[in-house]
Amino acid sequence: MFEAIMQVGLIIFSISLALCVWRALKGPTLWDRVVALDSFGLNLIGFIGIIMILQSTNAFAEVVLVLGILAFVSSVALAKFLERGVVIDRDSH
Amino acid sequence: MAFQILLNIVIAIFWMALQGEYTSVNFVIGYVIGLGVVYFLRGSLNETFYMRRVWAIIKLIVIFIKELVVANLDMIRIVLSPKLNVTPGIIALRTDLKTDWEITILSMCITLTPGTMTMDYSQDGRTLYIHSIHMNSTQEVIDDVRNNFERAIQEVTK
Amino acid sequence: MLSLIEILISIFVLLGSFLSLIGSLGIMRLPDIYSRMHAATKSATLGVVLLILGTFTYFLGEGIFSLQLLLTIAFVFLTAPVAAMIISRSAHRNGVELWGRTKHDELQESYPEHLEPERENEKVERP
Repeated sequence: MFEAIMQVGLIIFSISLALCVWRALKGPTLWDRVVALDSFGLNLIGFIGIIMILQSTNAFAEVVLVLGILAFVSSVALAKFLERGVVIDRDSH
Repeated sequence: MAFQILLNIVIAIFWMALQGEYTSVNFVIGYVIGLGVVYFLRGSLNETFYMRRVWAIIKLIVIFIKELVVANLDMIRIVLSPKLNVTPGIIALRTDLKTDWEITILSMCITLTPGTMTMDYSQDGRTLYIHSIHMNSTQEVIDDVRNNFERAIQEVTK
Repeated sequence: MLSLIEILISIFVLLGSFLSLIGSLGIMRLPDIYSRMHAATKSATLGVVLLILGTFTYFLGEGIFSLQLLLTIAFVFLTAPVAAMIISRSAHRNGVELWGRTKHDELQESYPEHLEPERENEKVERP
């Protein structure tokens, strides 16, 4: 029973990951793709969380943390790059 | 404020030393006793009692969680309704908050609460530009933010 | 039968995955990037935080206090608004079209003359 509920969670997460990929492929502007990839990263964290419960292992805890950081940093870097063509600008806020 | 917390911890350690057992239970008991002592000493310390600030922070967190849940119910209603009834718009909000971190907290709260999202800030950082998804009237959105968050944040830093 | 803690975990997981699905549906359905950002930040953030709370509860039941998961929750809460602000600001500064029914745009009026982005009059094609 408990495992079945976790499987349902996995299926729902797979659907939502697929929707994110659809938007990333389709998106009319580049920024739509950035939003879709950001949300893809967040959903991936949840997916791995369920897998941690199913396999009853603590080994992916660091993976989850690093994925969260990477999703944030990569979407911010992409957005800044699209804004002016530079990622780190020193003389403005 | 820092001095009061330090005094409180010293009293707790002193209590543990008097008991002769260095356990976390004794530390907690000592800390609670220290709270009472600091409360009665607050007049001679020339500061307001620091638990009032802690209480204000707890109140801010409770408001934040409540608004986050309301925001999600709102989002469910928008997304699952067959017809899209959203009227977006961007408005400028002038805040009364002074320091940088107060404004940072305010903009985070705005982003995670129903129908509003911070988009940009002006050069001096005092005007926030908010994208709102229910734009019936500009004043309504501004009043909402003012009454909920600005007051709670001012309560913390007062 | 499910024990009490398993029921708690199941509620967390089902609510979390449902909210994530709402977030992704919102990204798919809403008309312009700024509205999509609403769905992406609010629903996806709370969904993932609930799910990680469920995972944390599971390991607490196994007797493991996993600090990394708590750190993840704090991190997601701190970074989601920042990412939303930076992405939408960069989109607006580069003249990404607002939806046709947007009421008014006070941010556009605040730009200085030389920085004003060009917005095309014709609509961006939509699916």
